[in-house]
Amino acid sequence: MQRSEGANLRLAAPSVEGGLPVRQGVGPMSIRSAFDQELQELRDDVLRMGSMVEGALKSSIQALKEQDQSLAQQIINDDDKVNDLRFKIEEDCLSLIARQQPAARDLRFIVAAMNIVLDLERMGDHAAGIATIVLRMGGQPPLKPLIDLPRMAQISQEMLRASLDAFVAEDEKRALAITPRDEQVDQLYNQIFRELITYMIEDPRTVTRAMYLLFCAHNVERIADRVTNICERVAFVATGRMEEIPSEPGTEIGLS
Amino acid sequence: MEKIRTENLSFYYGSKQALSNISMLIRDRQITALIGPSGCGKSTFLRCLNRMNDTISGTRAEGQVLLDGQDIYSSLTDVVDLRRRVGMVFQRPNPFPQSIFDNVAFGPRVLGMHREKSLDAIVEQSLRGAVLWEEVRDNLGQDALSLSLGQQQRLCIARAIAVKPEVILMDEPCSALDPIATLEIEELMQKLQENYCIVIVTHNMQQAARVSDWTGFFWLGELVEFGATETIFTRPQQQLTEDYITGRAG
Repeated sequence: MQRSEGANLRLAAPSVEGGLPVRQGVGPMSIRSAFDQELQELRDDVLRMGSMVEGALKSSIQALKEQDQSLAQQIINDDDKVNDLRFKIEEDCLSLIARQQPAARDLRFIVAAMNIVLDLERMGDHAAGIATIVLRMGGQPPLKPLIDLPRMAQISQEMLRASLDAFVAEDEKRALAITPRDEQVDQLYNQIFRELITYMIEDPRTVTRAMYLLFCAHNVERIADRVTNICERVAFVATGRMEEIPSEPGTEIGLS
Repeated sequence: MEKIRTENLSFYYGSKQALSNISMLIRDRQITALIGPSGCGKSTFLRCLNRMNDTISGTRAEGQVLLDGQDIYSSLTDVVDLRRRVGMVFQRPNPFPQSIFDNVAFGPRVLGMHREKSLDAIVEQSLRGAVLWEEVRDNLGQDALSLSLGQQQRLCIARAIAVKPEVILMDEPCSALDPIATLEIEELMQKLQENYCIVIVTHNMQQAARVSDWTGFFWLGELVEFGATETIFTRPQQQLTEDYITGRAG
């Protein structure tokens, strides 16, 4: 990132009280263009990280469905890139705070970005967790045909993408519209949970294979849950309020 | 606790209106910062608080400035006493070309204090109050102009507090100082805040954010927004304030 000398010099400039005409109607983006440029780069990096995580989630379900071991290994390897990007973004945020003294919305945006990349990094870990299970399954087909799990993953993926769109637009309404979908994910998770229980009760030899699928579903459920954190951060950027977006209590069962 | 309250204060330089209808509550033992671009009226407002503008001919104030509930623009006000109660520190350190001691003793002497012992005590107390005592205690006879700029500014603060004011107005007190001297003055302000009501005009928004409890944002002679400093710098209510403090307007 480029150091923005202009902005700092301008803030430190000595006063000429009463001597200069007041500039009127100066629109946004006119003075701190270097700073704005850096904020844009930060926004782009968060989006790039989001799409890496989204891709990892999508691939992990594909690897599960097709028992594609090399794809699973690829997801695990690529998770390092997600982790690296997270640290890069956090360092950029620290640098912006130290050099530009951001305030108000700029400050909220940077703090939100730091929180969001933490959530994205954990989502990446969940996708890698699914890939690890695929490796453990060792090429055996899943216990049952995968229908609800890909559906869960699909919704989670859409939620993630929508939350990042809302982040870019800094749009609270769009962010709040996403969170109710988390309940759909929770319901699908509960359904999978109950179904797998019946398999295990009927035939205890299926326990290991049922647990594989349950862990996968659990990972997806966690991802959707973390999307709601991103939505909370978007609302914070837009309004300055730090609030938990309420979800229906007790909608998820089993591990959480 | 309220110390100063302005009610619909307007101010004119001849026919040119510099302030329009400013109503602000300034609290005792707190630091209130006034920010805004050059020419927005913040220094004019500050100088209204101890009638420093009276010295400029052709000026006129409307509305009220209440100090402890008393209108300072009333005909009953003793302006000399007002300026003792409401002291001022300026942009550039302006010590008199005299010794350090005489600078600090100047105000008390004008007010009729001549006993050497009490003068000694008040000079020491004031220099301690301005965190300058340890640096100059052995050289009180030294020419004040031989001090560094940062020390000169602290001397001016010592001179201001020597007459036991209630309010200290500071007009860009750090703009002529280097960063370390600036931080020393800011540190001093935090200390002075325990005993005085402080109002500071600053162009340095980070300074306002660092030191003040309350911030007022002026624009074209109007008070656009006034509130707790924390709120102004994290979630201002007005778009104009937001644009200014994030460096996108002004």
